[in-house]
Amino acid sequence: MREWWAKLRYALTGRRAIPDDLAAEIQSNLELETDDHLARGIPADQARNQARRHFGNPTLIKERAQEAWTFPRFATLLQDLRYGLRGILKSPGYSLVVILTLTLGIGANSAIFSVVDAVLLKPLPYPDAERLVWLGESHGKVEGISVTWGNYRAWKKYNHTFGDMAGYQWNQFTLTGRGEPLFTRAIQVDNAFFRLVGAKPVLGRVFTAEEDRAGTQRTAVLDYKFWINKLGGDRGVLSGTLDLNGLSYRIIGVLPPGPDFHNMAVDFYLPMGLFRSDSEPRTQHGSMRVLGRLRSDVTLATALGDLDQIMQRLAREDPGTEDDHRSAGKFLIDETAGDVRPILWLLMGAVGLILLIACANVANLVLARSATRSREIAIRTAIGAGRMRLVRQVLTENLLVASIGGALGLLLGYWALRALILIAPKGIPRLAEVGLDLRVLLFTAGLTIVTGVVVGLAPVLTAGRVDLTSALNAGGRSGTDTKRERSFRNALVIAEITITLVLAFSSGLLLRSLIAAQNTSPGFVPARVLSLELVLPGASYQNPQAIQNFYDRLLDGLRTIPGADEVGAVYCPPPKGDCGDWWYSVLGAPVPAKEDVPLSLFNVAGPGYFETMKIPLREGRTFTSADRTGAPLVAVVNETIARQWFPKESAVGHVIKYGGPYMPGATFEIVGVVGDVKQEGMGTVPYPEIYRPFAQDPQQAMTAMIRSVGDPNSLAPAVRRLAASLDHNLPIQRLVPEESRMASTLDRRRFATLLLAIFAGLALTLSAVGVYGLLNYWVTAREEEIAIRLALGAGRSGILTWAGTAASKLIAAGVVLGVGAAWAASNLLDSLVFGISPRDITMLSAAALVVIAIATFGAALPLARATRVDAARKLQRA
Amino acid sequence: MSTVDNLSERLELLQGTLEVLILRSLQMGPNHAYGIGQFIEHHSGSEFLVDNGSLYPALQRLLQRAWITAQWKTSPNSRRAKYYRLTALGRKQLLAATSKWERFVEAMGRVLAPKGVGRA
Repeated sequence: MREWWAKLRYALTGRRAIPDDLAAEIQSNLELETDDHLARGIPADQARNQARRHFGNPTLIKERAQEAWTFPRFATLLQDLRYGLRGILKSPGYSLVVILTLTLGIGANSAIFSVVDAVLLKPLPYPDAERLVWLGESHGKVEGISVTWGNYRAWKKYNHTFGDMAGYQWNQFTLTGRGEPLFTRAIQVDNAFFRLVGAKPVLGRVFTAEEDRAGTQRTAVLDYKFWINKLGGDRGVLSGTLDLNGLSYRIIGVLPPGPDFHNMAVDFYLPMGLFRSDSEPRTQHGSMRVLGRLRSDVTLATALGDLDQIMQRLAREDPGTEDDHRSAGKFLIDETAGDVRPILWLLMGAVGLILLIACANVANLVLARSATRSREIAIRTAIGAGRMRLVRQVLTENLLVASIGGALGLLLGYWALRALILIAPKGIPRLAEVGLDLRVLLFTAGLTIVTGVVVGLAPVLTAGRVDLTSALNAGGRSGTDTKRERSFRNALVIAEITITLVLAFSSGLLLRSLIAAQNTSPGFVPARVLSLELVLPGASYQNPQAIQNFYDRLLDGLRTIPGADEVGAVYCPPPKGDCGDWWYSVLGAPVPAKEDVPLSLFNVAGPGYFETMKIPLREGRTFTSADRTGAPLVAVVNETIARQWFPKESAVGHVIKYGGPYMPGATFEIVGVVGDVKQEGMGTVPYPEIYRPFAQDPQQAMTAMIRSVGDPNSLAPAVRRLAASLDHNLPIQRLVPEESRMASTLDRRRFATLLLAIFAGLALTLSAVGVYGLLNYWVTAREEEIAIRLALGAGRSGILTWAGTAASKLIAAGVVLGVGAAWAASNLLDSLVFGISPRDITMLSAAALVVIAIATFGAALPLARATRVDAARKLQRA
Repeated sequence: MSTVDNLSERLELLQGTLEVLILRSLQMGPNHAYGIGQFIEHHSGSEFLVDNGSLYPALQRLLQRAWITAQWKTSPNSRRAKYYRLTALGRKQLLAATSKWERFVEAMGRVLAPKGVGRA
């Protein structure tokens, strides 16, 4: 302990004192010994020699004595670090490039990985979440159809593969009696639901088996956020009620704060059984899906097989129109991530490639540098540096660089992640959970260390093989360049060019897709249209007449608002997406097989809708006030349907059957054909759509479209006032301009394109640096050869041709491989490309040209240097 | 000055004994490194050869433990030399080490002594 303190004191203070003192002491003792010999009568020079021989090597003794004052391991580490830092500072350009390369690679990686981790990888925050599955019905190729009450009860009762199972469905209610009428979201669930998601009430209780029965009492469990925000966290709520759509529900409990199930925030939970009846037919679909937890030893396929057997048995016992329905299921985590999955994997793949480029770059730079340092290493070996010591020093230096790069990368990743969350489009599931957490830190630290070691190993492999004589003999030549090293370095640069080309091509494809998606017509003119979305509560609007009366008055009122030009209403406004598709058939056409019955969107349009939206009429007419209840049932179809069924004749006059040939359903006569509308947003492909007139199929949920003369937002206050004057208990679901709503459907594509473009730019920069580094070294290693060639009469242009050929070979190899790789990778992009083919030759050529240009740019400086070699001076030195 | 020519015949110092020998040599009074080496060789009947490569680091360790102190002085033949001197702590350590060493030697002797010669 005392020893340790003394050393520490010395380490902190008297750095110089001890070595000097030791040197003096050794000198004086040598003299004392010489004196002794002299005293014994030995001649002076002999005495000195003898003393020196007996004494030993003074330098070594001094060193060993000095070592007693150090912390041996720590000292070597410090020394390595000092050497490392000195190495970094000695060639700041090199170090800067390496550190920057690593920073960019690691920063981009940790940011994107954080997102991928939170959205795709991290288990959902439920007990045994990896065994939670989402279940629906399937029919032919259609998967995820809602589960009927009868089927669900049978699944739950007879399955052998699920530990627990709960039906759920979302619903919307108007809450009244607590100030302003409030539009609220509910989820109707079985009591098992709470067990499945592991939620225990903070107040009161959750549902029991009693509430699972069909036709149970009206009760509600509150979501924590709703309880705090809307009811002030009042603990007295348990004795209270909620008035939903005019009916009173008793509050029985409050759930703890937790993540939103399926990323859908809800305000409260209602018992599933309340809305169902055991007498409803087994073919009556609502919108219920089922959440189940697999038994621990059961695979998803086995479980679905189990449910299918139950479906088959039900079909035998209780035959009906849906006897060929089967079960469908996905793991909940896959279902939750949904369609963000391909984009995130694409981005993850892109940043992974960036890191590969970064590593290749760094490895190349380090390799080139260690080759130019082989003289230094040879000299160190000559004066006695152990091989292990050199290896350790090289590794320390590289790990130091990698650590600095890693730390900066992490910092960059932190900022990049915050920027990413800021610009990310809405609707990316679990984005709120994203953060640079411990796992991300570990991932990044792992990357840093692996990079450091991989990069460190490269020069160590050569450092061990440095041949002292040849390295020293090389004299003026500043580097050795064996064939093996050369081909390794070439391979690295070729790989970089290859990867860069893949990234450039991919981002080019996405960019073209984005432009294509932006430029396609949505099928209507969204400019200056304000959309007002409403849902009439069923309790106050119980019959179709009441619904129709309300919307008639609303549309009449809207027409009188100053600045309103045209007004119409629709059930499913673009870009709301899938408001429900259903089977249909065309009378007179060949009857399709049961699993081939086509699906179409079914929409409802009020008079004036097509005109207001400027949806072009292709044939026949649109709806008029004559299309009312009692009149013949009519429909307007979109061009996709018309072209599919009546390519050579007019669709008008033909009859469509709702539900297809195998299900009961009404028939409608086609009275008109309108242009396709991008119902699911920009950048989607057209889908069959059938419109019914509002008067023949009144819907509680309608969206009024108001085309204004000027800025549509300026109409908003008047629209709100009008709606409140018609029904002051009616909440407004949404009141937004159509133009911004349509544009926002491209947010996700824009986001992915922007990021991929950034990554492609990064890759281009890095590979330009890579080409530069390699060729620069190539020239350095050949300065002497260039000088000799010049001396023997080669012209500058000859040198340029010679060096240029070497560079071109590299670039050409990379581009050829890159074109092949990009071609192969284009398959993976299929789901993200829009409006062009993923195998777009023009795009591929453009990407190849850009990569060639950038690589040539990287090669230009070293090539110029090659032609400027001063032959006379170089040869003098050699 | 060497009296034993074949170095391999000399005894190797056991781990940790050099420190004790240094302390012992300083019991007689302050001395310099050369003097300490001479003392040990002489008093061991030239069985121990003190290697300077071990002596100097050992002196540093003793200094660090504050068992000895050092001071530059002028030697009898008027040379400046660094003299080491036992501290009170060093004296205590020497006593402890000596008694420990005696026990060690006695125990070794007892074990190694031929059968029947040792006490029953």
